[in-house]
Amino acid sequence: MSVSRRTIMAAGGTLVAAVAGGIVYEGWRLLRDRYPPTPYDDLLDRLNSREDARRIGLVFLGRHRNFTPATAARALRQRIGAHELSAALANEVALGGITEAAGWIIPESVAGLCALAASV
Amino acid sequence: MSFIDARQVPNGTQLTPDLVVVGGGPAGITLALALAHTPIKVLLLEAGGMEFDSATQQLYAGDETGVRYIPLDATRLRYFGGCSNHWGGWSRPLEPIDFEQRDWLPYSGWPFSRAELEPYFTRAQQLIEAGPFLYDTLAKGDLPGSLLPLGPGGVYNSFFQFSQWRGNANHLPTAFGHRYADALKGIPNLQLMLHANVTGLRLAHDVRWVDHLDVATLSGGRFTVHPRHIVLACGGIENARLLLASNDVISAGVGNQNDQVGRFFADHAIPRNTATLVVFGGEIAGFYKANQDARGAHFRATLAPTERFRREQKLLGALPTVEQRVELDEIGRAAVATTSAALGVDASNAHAYSLGTGLELAPDPERRLTLIDTRDALGMPRLKLNMTISDGDFASYRAILVELGRQLLAAKSGMLRLDRSTRTEWLSAMDWGNHHMGTTRMHEDPKRGVVDANAQVHGLANLFVAGSSVFPTYGASNPTLNLIALTLRLADHLKGVFG
Repeated sequence: MSVSRRTIMAAGGTLVAAVAGGIVYEGWRLLRDRYPPTPYDDLLDRLNSREDARRIGLVFLGRHRNFTPATAARALRQRIGAHELSAALANEVALGGITEAAGWIIPESVAGLCALAASV
Repeated sequence: MSFIDARQVPNGTQLTPDLVVVGGGPAGITLALALAHTPIKVLLLEAGGMEFDSATQQLYAGDETGVRYIPLDATRLRYFGGCSNHWGGWSRPLEPIDFEQRDWLPYSGWPFSRAELEPYFTRAQQLIEAGPFLYDTLAKGDLPGSLLPLGPGGVYNSFFQFSQWRGNANHLPTAFGHRYADALKGIPNLQLMLHANVTGLRLAHDVRWVDHLDVATLSGGRFTVHPRHIVLACGGIENARLLLASNDVISAGVGNQNDQVGRFFADHAIPRNTATLVVFGGEIAGFYKANQDARGAHFRATLAPTERFRREQKLLGALPTVEQRVELDEIGRAAVATTSAALGVDASNAHAYSLGTGLELAPDPERRLTLIDTRDALGMPRLKLNMTISDGDFASYRAILVELGRQLLAAKSGMLRLDRSTRTEWLSAMDWGNHHMGTTRMHEDPKRGVVDANAQVHGLANLFVAGSSVFPTYGASNPTLNLIALTLRLADHLKGVFG
């Protein structure tokens, strides 16, 4: 079987693009995730912005002094599991799983994630 | 026939109509119109003239204690048309639950269901000139914009309609005095007298009958009216004052043998900026923010609790409405960004609005009117209002807001922030509706009400009361449409009384 020069060029181009894309993605991720590793990164990575979440979480923690990250993380993992966060929240809210943080009515899991962000 | 000026009536005159209606506001005028084609000779006494007059208005002044309320001479108007001269035209029928006796709401319940008023709503709607009777059916037709999506739950998109004086360039709500003056002048069996202040109801010797009414004018005139029957229609404050002040025979006042007159005063609390509503998708439809037209109705949306939700959660009525657009603070922006992203929704164009509400108060016998020693220019004792609002009233409304917030999240359409928590915060942003209710409440048991189911004062054969002072439970809907329907019902009853 012979491989044409054109095919080799195309394959090479694709490989270069993939590597470059990976470098850009990793670079962006490193810039974005400028936080030291935590035991809860699997959960915190689901947040759009840890800084935004932290602001809400600090307010929430002010009224929930007995919050313990490990316990909360365990509950969040059970509740969210492998589901898309949005799907898990839809189910949670339908069942009345809401709470208040700084006056805002938010899903309990969002409050938990925010509190985790503020705890680490 | 032109209106009569009571200041021209000779002192000592005795008038003898079949029926005297005391008060020329929406209830009194409705009653006069409804009895137009009957043989009943009606005399309608209006305390004021055709326009505002400060000396007449001063007769309304009184004292207040308790929660800050509007001064008694500012919360109502003493001239022809009464409070319809300053109403906003907001209209909505009471809901069936508002008539029900609820175990969890002490003193609640009317002596009949809403079905009793159904036959009168169409005519009442015509009288307030609010277009076709549509209200919540508006949601089923074409609207100039989209309804706010809400997940399943206890709050739904509901609608006010508005009184609108058709043909008036300013689209003012119907001011009953000016609007119906010509119609009233054309009624042959009606005499309408201006500047005629009733200062007392004088009982017959057997105290089971009102023999006559004393009438006075600010120019010094004094005469009497000796009717067969009487309807008090001078508003939720003045009806009680007239009964309490007529205490020459029974010291507690007419109809007050069980100490019910003046108690259970109510108004709709209107706390402002109670919550912040964020709509993820951008600008909310215009009919949430202001009145708009559709299908011949002038309407506006409200986010109302369902009757089912109110029953399950034991909640009072409330009708939250969008006030104005607001900017979010840093925490607010973070909450919206975090929550919308978690829900998988783009909120980059989110709009935020403040929410106000009209709020029902729980019946309270200590929220009451009593006479004080000070007297007005006609010698009538003035009133003192003890105003109350309970923390439970606020908590009830808060529960509705929390449910609304949950439903917005469920629909992924928005979210909500509660902006009032403490009693001080609630009271700091408090307005009132000027909807005076409850002071001559309706109940079949004379120990628990002033009038019976026909609006007849207990124990008195010829005295009736019209208007929202008879409402024993209030709902959150504005009272005018409902009191007019109730007055039309009373008119039918009076036709039977007169045979």
